[in-house]
Amino acid sequence: MKRTFLNGVAVMALTAGTAQAQMMFTPGEGGFHWDGYEAFAENYDLSGETVEITGPWTGFEKEKVDVVFSYFEEATGATVNYSGSDSFEQDIVISARAGTAPNLAVFPQPGLAADMASQGFLTPMPEGMGDWVAENFAAGDSWVDLATYEGPDGEEDLYGMFFRVDLKSLVWYSPIAFDEMGYEIPETMEELKELTQQIVDDGGTPWCIGLGSGAATGWPATDWVEEMMLRTQEPSVYDQWVDNEIPFDDPAVVGAIEEFGWFALNDDFVQGGTQAVATTDFRDSPNGLFAVPPECYMHRQASFIPAFFPDEVELGADADFFYFPAIEENDLGSPVLGAGTLFSITNPSEATSAMLEFLKLPIAHELWMAQDGFLTAHAGVNLDVYATDAQRAMGEIIANATTFRYDASDLMPAEIGAGAFWSGMVDYVTGESAEDVAAGIQARWDSIK
Amino acid sequence: MDNIAGKKSGLSIVTNLSVLALVVLWLIPTIGLLVSSFRDREQISETGWWLALFPVEQAVRITPEMGDVTQEGDLYVVSGNVFGADGSGSVAAFGITSRAPGAAEAGQTYGRLKLEVLDEDGEPDTENYETAWPVDGTPEIPETDEDGRAVQGYTIDRALTMQPNGDYVWRQASEPRRAPALYVVSTQPPDFGLQNYETILTSNNMDQAFINTLTVTIPATVIPILIAAFAAYALAWMEFPGRGWLVAIVVGLLVVPLQLALVPMLTLHNKIGIGQSFVGIWLAHTGFGLPLAVYILRNYMVGLPRDIIESAKVDGATDFQVFTRIVLPLSFPALASFAIFQFLWTWNDLLVAKVFLPSNSESWVMTVKIADDLLGSRGGDWGILAAAAFVSIAVPLLVFFAMQKYLVRGLLAGSVK
Amino acid sequence: MSPIVQGILTIIIGVGGCIGYFYASNILLDRVIFPPKTDDQGRNIRRATMVRPWLFLLPAILALGLYLVYPVVGSFLRSLYNRSGEEFVGLGNYVQMFSEHGFRVALFNNFLWVVFVPAGATFFGLLVAQLTDRLKWGNIAKSLIFMPMAISFVGASLIWKFVYAADPDIGIINAIRDYFGAAPVDPMQIPFWNNFFIMFIMVWMQTGFAMVILSAALRGIPEETIEAAIIDGANPFQIFFRIKVPQIAGTIVVVWTTITFLTLKVFDIVYTMTGGNFDTEILPSYMMDYMFRDDGRATAVAFVIMVIVTPVMIWNIRQARREL
Repeated sequence: MKRTFLNGVAVMALTAGTAQAQMMFTPGEGGFHWDGYEAFAENYDLSGETVEITGPWTGFEKEKVDVVFSYFEEATGATVNYSGSDSFEQDIVISARAGTAPNLAVFPQPGLAADMASQGFLTPMPEGMGDWVAENFAAGDSWVDLATYEGPDGEEDLYGMFFRVDLKSLVWYSPIAFDEMGYEIPETMEELKELTQQIVDDGGTPWCIGLGSGAATGWPATDWVEEMMLRTQEPSVYDQWVDNEIPFDDPAVVGAIEEFGWFALNDDFVQGGTQAVATTDFRDSPNGLFAVPPECYMHRQASFIPAFFPDEVELGADADFFYFPAIEENDLGSPVLGAGTLFSITNPSEATSAMLEFLKLPIAHELWMAQDGFLTAHAGVNLDVYATDAQRAMGEIIANATTFRYDASDLMPAEIGAGAFWSGMVDYVTGESAEDVAAGIQARWDSIK
Repeated sequence: MDNIAGKKSGLSIVTNLSVLALVVLWLIPTIGLLVSSFRDREQISETGWWLALFPVEQAVRITPEMGDVTQEGDLYVVSGNVFGADGSGSVAAFGITSRAPGAAEAGQTYGRLKLEVLDEDGEPDTENYETAWPVDGTPEIPETDEDGRAVQGYTIDRALTMQPNGDYVWRQASEPRRAPALYVVSTQPPDFGLQNYETILTSNNMDQAFINTLTVTIPATVIPILIAAFAAYALAWMEFPGRGWLVAIVVGLLVVPLQLALVPMLTLHNKIGIGQSFVGIWLAHTGFGLPLAVYILRNYMVGLPRDIIESAKVDGATDFQVFTRIVLPLSFPALASFAIFQFLWTWNDLLVAKVFLPSNSESWVMTVKIADDLLGSRGGDWGILAAAAFVSIAVPLLVFFAMQKYLVRGLLAGSVK
Repeated sequence: MSPIVQGILTIIIGVGGCIGYFYASNILLDRVIFPPKTDDQGRNIRRATMVRPWLFLLPAILALGLYLVYPVVGSFLRSLYNRSGEEFVGLGNYVQMFSEHGFRVALFNNFLWVVFVPAGATFFGLLVAQLTDRLKWGNIAKSLIFMPMAISFVGASLIWKFVYAADPDIGIINAIRDYFGAAPVDPMQIPFWNNFFIMFIMVWMQTGFAMVILSAALRGIPEETIEAAIIDGANPFQIFFRIKVPQIAGTIVVVWTTITFLTLKVFDIVYTMTGGNFDTEILPSYMMDYMFRDDGRATAVAFVIMVIVTPVMIWNIRQARREL
């Protein structure tokens, strides 16, 4: 629920133009990788074949992905029927059970795909796909792991290929305010903490943090903790945490929570003081960046947040972002937290395999990048194609990632990731100790095992 | 006697005042909502609704169109009017950083100077110093800086001259690459309007939610009344074994928390194929509303004059005829009062709607829309929230004030005899 | 527009079906099953008279049985199974629940609600009823205080956000604090007392209800009693507490219990004000945390609410039996 909502918003935020006609990019022009496309077109003739695809993209997003598919149709002669649904999660399960599954399904998050793989509704990816992703995606191994699940026989296999990524590790700020105060973009967490202190010394408030989100209150803090996990622990520890192989109250997790606390629990560091963190609405909190005088200077939030900026704020001029930096001393590279959608085979056919081949081409990604509202981990794409500078800068952050990890709360069981973890973080910012909060969440996790 | 009368009037003043205080206390929150629903978002965040009638002092950043840059000595100069070529307004104060947007009064120049000082070891150094000075004057500079070092001289780094009408002159030492950010504190008149209502009613599926609420409410009001009326008649005027017990059971069921029904009934609905749907929620509201309906209507019907009903029966009327021709018309006040009750209850319900209706935006009723969507997606937009809340409470309030008489009568029938 | 058409159709089908049922079944009874024109006319009429009440009652009994009686049993049985409903765990859900901090907080808060909301609403209701009794503009005052009754709990919560908001430009409480130079506080985050702030919203809504009924009861007190007291030299306070209150004690109890069981059902206010955070959870909102996720636990919570209500229910039934 939270994820699909945010995806939708992200697109709204970043969509400048309106829907356009199909075949909007003339082959051979622009910065696209047309040569691969032409070679692909020569290899395949699938006239009369049809590829059925269902996914969560509707509205503007459907129009954009239809453009991508139209180039596949043009190249192969096959027909692509894509249908998007707001209740994709239920629909795909029902159709798989009824034996009427489409050829490909686009899962908005890995959890459901893993679930369906274990029930035998998914077909493993073609031979070699895993190696290809590992080599050609930024932080490729991460993407392979995220799409590798146990099949019905308990055997592990690659069941999906990620197409389209959302980025969380961003800190939003006002370039004008930074300019006036002479602040530099921090490159490391150490610098970020120094800057935080510096702003306080200058009489300002560094951060706007708001966890309010109606019944989902608390989730923005889970992102903070996940970021901190990636910056204080090896990626493998993060994975163990997600699978509950280490308990939630493991010192590693408690430490990450307390890293978040360094920012959120200091009355001087957050707008309105710590007390305001729990109740300020997350959509409302970035507005402090643009207030005169500024109520805060930085705001950590995912790529969708510009949708909630005041109308007159212009991306690039009044608002910009930088990568939420890694801790230099820990030497863990540049971890990136995010989310993404993946293609899985629900009903194999020759044309389906061809479609997967097509999705491996940079052009398949570039065609949507150029329409805006799309980030990719594909390392072979031409970043110049991105429709806006902001998108390109985000694309670069993903391309430079050494580790990519999926939003942990989306991977955990809903009762934890969309329940106990949220409310636990609220308890934490309102005074409970990190140990107690983590132990409470673990207790809840134990009770559902 | 005089004494007593004096006491009485003193007491009545106290009474009047305390009632007034209570009424005000009871009304204030709602008035806050109503006033806020007409206010502009910016103004809501600037002043409280109780100051809504007063002008608002707002500090804003203005980045004017980059006009011609001229040179004046060492300084580059940009000039114009902050309100644009044909705009108007009045500047109270202005500044050059967002941290101090109202640092100087209009009609002055305010700028950042670079003070030239000598370090302890005699090395020249510069330090920033911000101050205001008269338009045709020069800045006064301190003799020593904060660290006690002697000031040798100064240069202007940037300076802004602002007139109350918005004319400005911006000077800066380096060549400007982009338009300067000017800060102006100006007084805005109160901004009232229907924009919030427009936003709410035209977008956001609120119209759909309104229709959904009606679709839930009307059948969920009419059906239980009909069923209850027949049952109430049977319990009031027909003789059969077990009648007393049935009445007692109805009274007992008044208290059963409907939470109990949620899980088993949803499971049952799913089993028999109703699932989460309008039919399901109609049935649920019917079930949950019946005990009160039967109870109120029976209490009322029992009180009807016995001779009218018995003489009709003697004349050969069947129970069905007695019911439809005599009892039903006579019970109109009770029927009306229960109808209002059930209407308010179903219109305002959140719990049953959350459980028995699908959780997609096409099926949201207004309460769910506000609680789960608007409180979320418009969390900080108080104007929109207030307008949405007012749209959702407008219909019940209308019904309430129009039919208050019946409502009170029904309450009394149900509780006091 | 299809929901409108659908709505209109169902009203017609539902209402028509109801009327049709009652009409047709009566005709069937009188003309076909027990026609009064055969040899044993008297016996048939008697029989029809015996059956007819049940025809009138059938839909109500079905609906009540299905939506209120069956769930008591169904919920209890469901609460004995685990989250998926496949494994019988006995009282496991209850044991687990009572061992949890969150549940105990909800139970305790619910206790606060049950004590203070009816008390507060009845108190204010009685106060307003008495004060407005002889006031010229009493009816207007009553009508305004009665008004929140028409507002949804969700709407009311939003309204009260304009009182409680931590931002001194939105919330009145903090605006007043701000005026006196105090730092803003978030009333929703003050441990323990935040419950009372939320409860007051419910009191605000229910006072009108208490007022209407109590004011009718006050009017029902015979004038002579009060006049006699005045002649005896009783002051207004003595009249109120010694004469009026005892006379309407029965009504006060009815009002009190009605608000009590209403309080036990309300989840909306907590849900919209705090989402159950800051230790403000009450049982109905605690139950919603588990709804759709762990039905075993959810039904167990519902059953605990049922157990709490049972004394009120028994008292209600006895009251009703006595009156019959």
